[in-house]
Amino acid sequence: MLLILPIILFLIVFFLIPYANMVYMSFLMKPAEGAYVRQFTLANYARALGDPFHWKVLRNTFWYSILTAAIALVLGYPVAYHLTRASGRRRAWLLVLLISPLLVSVVVRSFGWMILLGRVGLINQLVRSYGGPELALMYNPFGVVVGLVHVYVPFMALAIAGALQNISPDMERAARSLGAGQWRVFWRVTWPLSLPGVFAGTLLVFILAVSSYVIPILLGGSNVLVMPMLIVQMLLDAFNWPLGSALSMVLFGLTGALLWLYVKLLNRALRWSQP
Amino acid sequence: MRRGPLSGWGLGAAVTLIYVFLLVPILIVVAAAFNAGEYLRFPPQGFSLRWFVRFAQSESFVRAFLFSLQLAVYATLASTLLGTMAALFIVRHARRVRDALRLLMVAPLQFPAILTGIALLIFFYATGMGTRGMRPLFIGHTLVALPYVFLTVSTVLFGFNRSLEEAARSLGAGPFVTFRRITLPLIKGGIISGALFAFITSFDQFPISLLLISVGNTTLPIALFDYLRFSYEPTAAAVSTVSVLLSVAIVLLIQRLVGLEAVSWGGPR
Amino acid sequence: MASITLRELTKRFESVVAVDRLNLEIQEGELITLLGPSGCGKTTTLRLIGGFETPEAGDILFGGRAVTWLPPERRNIGIVFQNYALFPHLTVRENVAFGLEMRREPPAAIRQRVSAILTKVQLAGLERRYPHQLSGGQQQRVALARALVTNPAVLLLDEPLANLDAKLREEMRFYIRGLQREFGITTIYVTHDQAEAMVLADRIALMKDGRLQQLGPAETIYRRPSTPWVAEFIGLSNFIPGTVAARTDGRLSVRTAAGLFACSGDVAAGEVMIMVRPEALHFGPQHPNRIAGVVRERVFLGNLLDYQIDGPDGMRLRVQADPSRIFAPGEAVEVSFAPADAWAVGPRAAGP
Repeated sequence: MLLILPIILFLIVFFLIPYANMVYMSFLMKPAEGAYVRQFTLANYARALGDPFHWKVLRNTFWYSILTAAIALVLGYPVAYHLTRASGRRRAWLLVLLISPLLVSVVVRSFGWMILLGRVGLINQLVRSYGGPELALMYNPFGVVVGLVHVYVPFMALAIAGALQNISPDMERAARSLGAGQWRVFWRVTWPLSLPGVFAGTLLVFILAVSSYVIPILLGGSNVLVMPMLIVQMLLDAFNWPLGSALSMVLFGLTGALLWLYVKLLNRALRWSQP
Repeated sequence: MRRGPLSGWGLGAAVTLIYVFLLVPILIVVAAAFNAGEYLRFPPQGFSLRWFVRFAQSESFVRAFLFSLQLAVYATLASTLLGTMAALFIVRHARRVRDALRLLMVAPLQFPAILTGIALLIFFYATGMGTRGMRPLFIGHTLVALPYVFLTVSTVLFGFNRSLEEAARSLGAGPFVTFRRITLPLIKGGIISGALFAFITSFDQFPISLLLISVGNTTLPIALFDYLRFSYEPTAAAVSTVSVLLSVAIVLLIQRLVGLEAVSWGGPR
Repeated sequence: MASITLRELTKRFESVVAVDRLNLEIQEGELITLLGPSGCGKTTTLRLIGGFETPEAGDILFGGRAVTWLPPERRNIGIVFQNYALFPHLTVRENVAFGLEMRREPPAAIRQRVSAILTKVQLAGLERRYPHQLSGGQQQRVALARALVTNPAVLLLDEPLANLDAKLREEMRFYIRGLQREFGITTIYVTHDQAEAMVLADRIALMKDGRLQQLGPAETIYRRPSTPWVAEFIGLSNFIPGTVAARTDGRLSVRTAAGLFACSGDVAAGEVMIMVRPEALHFGPQHPNRIAGVVRERVFLGNLLDYQIDGPDGMRLRVQADPSRIFAPGEAVEVSFAPADAWAVGPRAAGP
């Protein structure tokens, strides 16, 4: 029907084709002048995968993202648990509180952290006023991870809340009736049943953290280099589009592979939930 | 039930701390914007609007603000129209290809925005379109805003009672009249909240804008970013505050219209 | 008002045949119920008549005029849905006026007709309310008013009382019946509730698997079911297996494990099931067809006692009798029934 045609066209031309083109670009050559020439080569991938510097950046990127996902899980789970147990108006307002940070630009949120974590930032002011040392909370991986966690906790919480919602309170009541105390009920009933949400959330946060650009740059400065930063540098500064494309492919290819492994493991662990 | 750490005060306290963690940076920025002094100190040095005045006087910031606004309006109109059309079709008509189409519609959300921005940059140059003017940005923003409109309108359509339309038809209303008088008024909430999400997505958009802006055409987030990389002045806080107020207004609007429950998503589907 | 004719009407969904070459003639002003278990095609048939589905084959005629390919808005129908489908964003008045607006009636006439019908359904004074501010019964009546105010040729009702509580449902049944008689509209009423069908209908169309099983007034279907399935669907039945021994003018002599029984039926020869309703089995030898058995269970139903009786050759009988005499489980009893209360049908097919 006519309704869908313009949209499909739009998505094909401005989404599918550019991505395909980017893959194509990763196999082209970078000339001395200009961004690329139409000559096939595998040199970009050789450089992308061969240079140990790239691997270092990749490792850092993945490591920060895993940390972010783990911490976001620890913080996001209680929020989700609390949210699903709230009712009616309270839940509505809790949702507002949870989602509104998402609607604020990531630049603004990073700015807030800069004010808090900087050398003369609020936290250091507080610590110094008590005679403590100056803490290096910014322009290092710590600041970056704090910023990433801050931005992605709501996503984690929403994903987990989605799974928790589907756990009927009767199940917990049944467990209590059988003699299980509160913690037992959580570990043996609630937590296992919420795992699909936990996995979805960690997956999501990991992907988001890996592709984050603003937070590492603003909060990491020149001391932290993650892949998105490297790729943008390659594209906009070095004007080396083929290598930039190849690096993008490598980053997201590896991310995809890691996630595929993750999903496989989680399907194994969640066998009981498959219909 | 016996109250313990999992219910009552233990959980409540922990959760409160986490919410504080989530909101404090934003509140800090707003506080800095109204702070009389250069640097935000504790205790604050007094109330002042001078940074907002500086904002209004800064030609580059004002220009970026207006540009972002204009761009967001265009992107919102386009994505709302396209997203609603897509939702109407996919929820009601597509039977066999429904899943594939839904995946396609949500795909821009699944792919990291920075990657999409890169792909678009290369594409625009390769096709000779270049990145001059608003057009490339308009396309990029519409692309990433589409899924939001699609999702919210789909949700509303999904719960829509078809017998209302059949009742209207039985009373003599043709398909267009039925859509205009019965369907549209009732899904209005979903369309509007989708549009609001789209607006915010465009206004606050960073990665796509980063790659597709050209000289002389910069968006507010990018202007702010450039500013923050190399200097620190509370004018940036004033700029940020305006942006935050916009977001808050939109969240409240959405809550009033449809309720955030209806549109909260648990990640890409 | 128009008669409705369905000719060889067929509707398929993927591989399932929902309506299978249905033929049905409904007279002007008649109220017919489409009755059957879920999945029998009654709702699909209604939707076909309304124009909300298009048939694969067959014709639909209103008053002799073919409407098969007309969209719903051109068929001049009124429909009441199970969930009423009142427009939530319009007031009661606006809801009821909608059909008249579509027909471009002058505003003065619309006002007058809407007021008249709202008074008729006892909803005067609630014009400005919104549907969510009304009770279930009130919403029901608004839906009826909205459907009737346009004087449609045909009225379609799709299980309209299913969402009401039992007491209200009973009241509304008579109410709808009264309205229909007053307006004299040809009406099709879909329900899965036998009692409802029997109260309301001039004729019942019993459907199964997309086909018409039996068409006729309630009493005929109850007393003279055409197939064992019909007999089982309507009311409770006992089935006594046997073979036809002799036949004279519709009166049969059937040999069973309990002896030779006299009954009536359309079957000429061969294996039959004698259908006897539980209330037609009486304790004592007063009727010619007699069975000796033992009481297995007894349930007290208030105005009746419900017995399960074991007869010869594994025969199980269900008897409902008044409490004037009470038998205990384990007691030996004799039950008998009159030939007029016994109806022989062809052998029971496997499954429902």
